[in-house]
Amino acid sequence: MSEIVLTGEVKSKKKKKRVDPEIGVSLSWKTLKAQKQLIFMSVPIAIYLIIFSYVPVWGWLMAFQNYRPALSFWKQDWVGLQQFRFLFQDDAFLGVLRNTIAMSFINLVLGFVTAIALALLLNEIKVRFFKRTVQTISYLPHFLSWVIAAGIVATSLSVDDGIVNTVLMKLHLIDQPVMWLSKGHYFWGIVGLSNVWKEVGWNTIIYLAAITSIDPSLYEAASIDGAGRFHKMRYVTLPGIKSTFIILLIMNIGHILDAGFEVQYLLGNGLVVDWSQTIDIFVLKYGISMGNYSLATAAGIFKTIVSVILVLIANSIAKRLGEERLV
Amino acid sequence: MRKKVKRSLIVLCIGMISTALLLSGCSGSGKTSGGGSTAESSGDDTKPITLSVFMDAPGQQPTADNKIYKLIKEKTGVSLNMEFLVGDLQQKLGVMIAGGDYPDLISGNDKLINAGAYIPLEDLIEKYAPNLKKHYAEVWNQMKDPKDGHIYVLPSYGVYTGSVHDTTYQGPGFYLQKDVLKEMGYPTPKTLEEYFDIIAKYKAKHPDMIGFETLNFDWRVFPLQNAPEHLSGHPNDGGVIVDNNKAQIFADKDIAKTYYKKLNEVNAQGLLDKEAFVQNYDQYLAKIASGRVIGMFDQHWNFQDGENSLISQGKIGSTYVGFPLMYPGAKEYYRDRGGLNLNRGFGISVKAKDPVRIIKFMDALMTEDWQKTLQWGIKGEDYEVKEDGTFYRTPEQRKNADNNTWKLANKADSFFGYMPKMQGSYTDGNATDPGTQPQEFYDSLKPYDQEILKAYNHKTWAEFFKEPGPNPVYFPAYTIILEDGSAAQLASTKLNDLSVKYLPKAIMASPSEFDSVWQDYVNQIHKLDIKAYEDRMNEQIQWRIKNWSSK
Repeated sequence: MSEIVLTGEVKSKKKKKRVDPEIGVSLSWKTLKAQKQLIFMSVPIAIYLIIFSYVPVWGWLMAFQNYRPALSFWKQDWVGLQQFRFLFQDDAFLGVLRNTIAMSFINLVLGFVTAIALALLLNEIKVRFFKRTVQTISYLPHFLSWVIAAGIVATSLSVDDGIVNTVLMKLHLIDQPVMWLSKGHYFWGIVGLSNVWKEVGWNTIIYLAAITSIDPSLYEAASIDGAGRFHKMRYVTLPGIKSTFIILLIMNIGHILDAGFEVQYLLGNGLVVDWSQTIDIFVLKYGISMGNYSLATAAGIFKTIVSVILVLIANSIAKRLGEERLV
Repeated sequence: MRKKVKRSLIVLCIGMISTALLLSGCSGSGKTSGGGSTAESSGDDTKPITLSVFMDAPGQQPTADNKIYKLIKEKTGVSLNMEFLVGDLQQKLGVMIAGGDYPDLISGNDKLINAGAYIPLEDLIEKYAPNLKKHYAEVWNQMKDPKDGHIYVLPSYGVYTGSVHDTTYQGPGFYLQKDVLKEMGYPTPKTLEEYFDIIAKYKAKHPDMIGFETLNFDWRVFPLQNAPEHLSGHPNDGGVIVDNNKAQIFADKDIAKTYYKKLNEVNAQGLLDKEAFVQNYDQYLAKIASGRVIGMFDQHWNFQDGENSLISQGKIGSTYVGFPLMYPGAKEYYRDRGGLNLNRGFGISVKAKDPVRIIKFMDALMTEDWQKTLQWGIKGEDYEVKEDGTFYRTPEQRKNADNNTWKLANKADSFFGYMPKMQGSYTDGNATDPGTQPQEFYDSLKPYDQEILKAYNHKTWAEFFKEPGPNPVYFPAYTIILEDGSAAQLASTKLNDLSVKYLPKAIMASPSEFDSVWQDYVNQIHKLDIKAYEDRMNEQIQWRIKNWSSK
């Protein structure tokens, strides 16, 4: 455990917190004093975590109650696992779980592949002005709210002079406009591609940063050995950003149940509801807007537990493969 | 991390809610003693007094020499120190409640009621305000707070006297563009067949137009879901129809099936907008504002923004007229009298020094003379009277009434909006305000609109719909609150989910498949605990009949 602390490139805040109790033997006033700057620096973070991540866990109790906001804690009605039972016995919830995982998985794979591909391509461009322009244009959509982005997507996919249908018609790939948003089995793909369009530029930034940290002498050496552009990409650039990639992957796997809310809520409609509803929408509908905070909490607990398990699994796989890891 | 933050937010909310409850407890107990002690202190009725007033909407201060406020001061001795909302209402209310710093008159609000910011008014009205008492006699019991039986706020709209002259119509209907009516020779469709026939014929001539439009988005699902209840002769009760004070859902009934089967046919003919079910509200409005939509079923206020855009583009011909289509044999009930706007209007705060004086002031303004001054203006300046006693305005007076700068100096609109007011007509037969005086309304219309109305031999848009009688006591059923987390609420939410999903499916299906999709839909509905929903509705309808009936 301790060797990561010393060598890990990505310095996670969590790491430091965990170190102290584990190397208990060496924890003494002397070491504390020697590291007092570090301790001071971590105090605000620790306070932040305690207030916003640990104290609220108290609220998990709501999941086992039939919680009513006006009543005091002692007057709440305790119902055991009833909320969880409602969740898992509801047909709709299972469908919602499927949609969430599917869309998350699509987003994860597409997000990584496109971001890395774009980063590699941008890295090969030597004209600075052109590179910057492409980069700026590609990450501009990131700053749009999903409300606007979904409007743009819906307009592009419209049967009524939507750009997608118009282009496909002109290319004679389709005979008549396709109603993209009314077919359930297109929905996941549409969400995946919309996410790529909106986020690819932004996601690229971190890889470009990782690429710049690769030692230029490696490229020179590769050139001397007769490597072409593609060989350099394959044998120098990609291995160079591998550790960044793995860390990001582990972190993102923890969010697999956060498939998003806005895009599905805004693009979804009655015809595709079996494919478009995610856990967050379900919670909003049957939890928050019905005043059933207990159900919302139960769903939140479920998501948290799944996330933690997934992160630990991914982490241990990474460890076994001898790769960089998070904890 | 996001989830955790959310959870902490919930905790924070709980904290805030409990604090608010605590505070409301304190101020609530303080209130009764305060109200009681001051209740007796009021002798002089015209002694100058300044009342502080808070209104929960942004507004502009009237000019210092505003003629109406000046008149009020002259006659009643009351000057008003008005505060309009700036910024966020909830924030402002929170500060007000926390500090207990209330003006004399505050616009009504549930949060303030719960915080105990108002004094009970029923005794004051009984004792000092005969005009108000008379005005509210019919709805006296409705105004009482369901929790403690006190009246805290005087509703500003929804109390009618004499015959009610609606001029515009904001309710549900099957709408058609005015240009369509003109070109088709001013038809009056009465049934679905006639209506869609007009659309089909017009679209044949103008293939670029969208035949029929509907909306199935977010909470705005009534354009798709509510038509059957109106077609079968029921008023707008939301998700249920009420016959003989007994409510039942209609989503699975034949009145619904007939309508959606018709839409299925219409879709097969290519008259329904292909994108109707995938569009959001903004896209819907954009289509209407483009002037390409021949007709739709909707409630007028819901597409008003689209129409406003048409008017500002000068496309009056693309705006709409509504028609009450009926199933054969059904009795029309599209138009209804707007309900009482409970908890809106003014309440007297616990901090008011002289509640008796305030209630007397409000009572004084409830005479017909004052109402005429407040709603029409000053005779000879703002309106004229014909020899037969009918009120009217000259074109110049009409222009003034549309001019905001003029209004700041010559009308008391912002304050009066929250005051108790007469609606309908005065004892002399004139409408209570210029906007609802039929001839006056007609004369102020654009020539194109006058032409359309003339062709139909009407004076107002509302006349396309049958004049409503008094509302049933319980009306409207859609304001019945389903308790949070109850089986009734769950059933209602799930029923809506099913409608949102299955109705588009059934309408888009090929006509031969319609019946099987419909059967599937009905089967799904019957799996729900519909009884819990209907029972709750019926229980509340009975409660309202018992507690709201006057006398």
